Amino acid sequence: MSEEEAYRTVSATLEQERIIPFKTDELEVVRSAEKCVNCGLCLNHCPVVRAVGVDRFSGPRSIAVELSRSPPDFWSTADKVYLCTSCGTCREVCPFNVNMPDIVNMVRARIFKQRPDLVPRGLRAVRETIAKYSLAFEPWEDPNEKTESRDARLQAAGLPFIKDRTVKGAEVLFYPGCQAEERAQEVKEAAKFILNYFGVDFTLLEEMSCCGLPSRLIGDDETSRSLAARLREKVNLLGVKKIVTTCAGCTSNLSDMSVRDNWGVPVYHLIEFLAEEIGLERLSEAFTEGSRAGEVLTTIHDPCHLIRHTSRQISDHVIAVLNLIPNVTVVPSGVADSCCGGGGMVGYHSRDVADAVVAYNLGPISATKANRLVAPCPLCTAQIERNLFNTGSDIQVDDLAVFIAQRLPQER
Amino acid sequence: MTDYDVIVIGGGSTGTAVARDCALRGLKTLLLERDDIASATVGTCAGMISSGFKYYDEPDIMDMCSQEVVYFRRIARHIIMKDPILMPFSELEELTRGGEASSFTDEYAKRAKERGVPPVMFLSPEQSLSIEPSLNPDMAACLYYEEYFIDPFRLCLLQAIDAKQHGATIKTYCEVTGIEATKPAKRVTFYNRATRQVECADGKLIVNAGGPWAGKVAAMAGAPLDLRLNKGAHVILDRRIVNVGISSKAADGRWIYLYPHENTTLLGTTALDTWEDPDVIVASHDEIEYLLKSMEWVVPSIRQARIIRTMEGVRPLVPEWKRSEDKVTRGYRIIDHEKDGVDGLISFTGGKLVMCRHMAEAVTNLVSKKLGRETVCRTHLDSLPGNGADVDVLALAAEYGLSQHAVERLRARRGTETSAVLALTKEHPEWKSTICTCEPVIEAELRYAIRNEFPQTIGDLRRRVRLGTGPCQGTFCTFKAAAVLAEELDLSGEQYQLEMIDFLAERWKGKRPPMRGGQLGQEELTQGLYACVANLDHTDLPYELKPWEEAA
Repeated sequence: MSEEEAYRTVSATLEQERIIPFKTDELEVVRSAEKCVNCGLCLNHCPVVRAVGVDRFSGPRSIAVELSRSPPDFWSTADKVYLCTSCGTCREVCPFNVNMPDIVNMVRARIFKQRPDLVPRGLRAVRETIAKYSLAFEPWEDPNEKTESRDARLQAAGLPFIKDRTVKGAEVLFYPGCQAEERAQEVKEAAKFILNYFGVDFTLLEEMSCCGLPSRLIGDDETSRSLAARLREKVNLLGVKKIVTTCAGCTSNLSDMSVRDNWGVPVYHLIEFLAEEIGLERLSEAFTEGSRAGEVLTTIHDPCHLIRHTSRQISDHVIAVLNLIPNVTVVPSGVADSCCGGGGMVGYHSRDVADAVVAYNLGPISATKANRLVAPCPLCTAQIERNLFNTGSDIQVDDLAVFIAQRLPQER
Repeated sequence: MTDYDVIVIGGGSTGTAVARDCALRGLKTLLLERDDIASATVGTCAGMISSGFKYYDEPDIMDMCSQEVVYFRRIARHIIMKDPILMPFSELEELTRGGEASSFTDEYAKRAKERGVPPVMFLSPEQSLSIEPSLNPDMAACLYYEEYFIDPFRLCLLQAIDAKQHGATIKTYCEVTGIEATKPAKRVTFYNRATRQVECADGKLIVNAGGPWAGKVAAMAGAPLDLRLNKGAHVILDRRIVNVGISSKAADGRWIYLYPHENTTLLGTTALDTWEDPDVIVASHDEIEYLLKSMEWVVPSIRQARIIRTMEGVRPLVPEWKRSEDKVTRGYRIIDHEKDGVDGLISFTGGKLVMCRHMAEAVTNLVSKKLGRETVCRTHLDSLPGNGADVDVLALAAEYGLSQHAVERLRARRGTETSAVLALTKEHPEWKSTICTCEPVIEAELRYAIRNEFPQTIGDLRRRVRLGTGPCQGTFCTFKAAAVLAEELDLSGEQYQLEMIDFLAERWKGKRPPMRGGQLGQEELTQGLYACVANLDHTDLPYELKPWEEAA
């Protein structure tokens, strides 16, 4: 028998026995799961368990000690592991730093291959969109309508339009992410405005494509890896030195990919870029010259993908930058770092769970008497905005990029 | 008048297979086991129902193994899994030396089809690494083959239950203390550890399936029986850390392996001639290091993996002396002690898990002949309990509102019995609660096992449902299981506490020898829970330390 024939025969057995070999980069994830001592500390902190109870979502510890032990059985865990919002709270409180979000992704990747029919239906639709457009959201059919929508959003936000540009050899790639590209266009525009204001040598992609996080969360590891590879190629072609994004999920995913696949290009969230690269001094000057749009009492939401998947320091950056803005007072809600429920693609198939998770945040947010909530993530913004609205709250929810852009001088 | 046609001594794989065969053939059968079903040798094996691959120079044995695998897949497919196995070679020369490779690949190939596996194949290093990235890339090639694995606890228990359903009497915790060669029957005296009474039973014939204790049993009847006792250790890892099984040569050139098994991975095994008491042996530091060091050459990251425990058992080999253990036949012998002037006593030596049914068939043929009964063996044809149609896990999970994984694990243990276990929750929805968080095990399965599978201790429950076999090693299930057991068996408060201590002591036996790394933190938690919270170290219980426990 030739080696190829032999390999085909072996592959057939592996498939029949539901064995999907771990990839080298997944072995570390397996090692991490091994550390769990079943103490259950995570159960007291998991926002999904808090919202829906252990019967619906058995929680991080069950994923570590039970659900992730035998890969051939992973298919049978679909009813549980797709309910994880990937917030990473468990990893933060875990005495052994068990890397639950990556464990969940590793398990989902196998469910996806073993029993695609058990992947929640809502996610299969997203997968089709990604397969078709390489974007997590269906793009506008008519480009003119997209432009009209953008202009309307710019007008509502009171921001000028900065021309799109693609420049080889630029210092920075601004990567808006799918949501700001196709839906929350004001976020993309606000970021362009900010970068432009500070004279950053930035470029956009010739053609926007997804960073691969949604595919990774769905369990479609192959697509996730190929999207990451495609984006990397684009980054290489542009020859940029840094990537800046306004999306929390993109920030953490691109950072992971950049490390995992040795991109050699650091990834920043816009707020990190402002605090670390532009500097608080320049920001302060700019805000002093900026518009004095009335007094604002604002509270903050910290996206999990920034504070837990990237760095807690980003939370300090947000406060530091907001504190520089005249007439803006920050009030803490006490729940700023509590998951909005929108992560892990949970909202796409179990909206009730996602909304039950964010319900915990709504009361304390309202109790701050703030008239504004800002979040450096268009996904969190949308999730909290919709749920606050549904409770009859009149708190306005803004993406942080928009909030900042509005407070910079519009002409220089 | 005699009570029984046959009295079988020993409730391991062979004894339960004999009891089943005798009962299926209509013989009045009693099985006596001094502890619990599958509580010794078979409970410490890897569960491989081997193709006999390693015994290519004993073609008859390979034939037997292959045929038995076919039978097991017919009668117990619900508790069988297949593991693909890679055997890396650092030099091609290693493979071809002395024609060894061609002999075993040829012998394996001859019998592959009937077992439903491909012949032995060779894979390139690249192909091998894509299947198993943990392998040391420094290899010439991998040899690939496939083996079947069975849950050895369930197998023995199902054989015992099937025997019982066919009229046999199964008595666990009954230790034989004497065999009297009265005529025409033999009188077997035994101490019932549960009732603390000495009892006796008369049988026309006695089958001694005592495994490593077979010599002691034969001696009670005044018959000589030589055995070559050989101990073996396994190191158990907390989860499946490899995609497929790995087989490799150890430090001394013997074969060792790393097999994914149930929710764990088994690293084994050692083989040392032993004269120790099989009841108190634990894995030694040397055995653990021998296994880790040997596997480290092919799986360099093995030491990073989490070891949860070791298990040590004793093989009752055929007494072939003055040759290395791996040259001793893996066949079995039936010894009719009539030749020693002790009629009515038949003993086994040797054998392997995969042969237990065959051994039973052979001995039951002899028993029938001696009893003058014409019987036909059916043990290779009739299903063991739970073997049947596919179980719709998803439908059952939806019907009972249970986690799919919990139902799938239940199915892997119980096959078609799954529905009967779940049906208990109709009247008692609270029994859906999880008792063992690692495997997992729900309360209904514990109740079902207690009511139908005659366990007397939490340790017995472990063998029946895999309770407490996960990473936390009983930390979070012992107190819950003890409560359920106490309620079902109407135990006193003191017995309830003793049950917990006994089970924790039994876990400690395997945990102590390899304890290191992450398991130290786990043990802190366990001790904290049972000593600091439950105060079990400050109770006034009539508990005697086990031989492997260190005195305070």
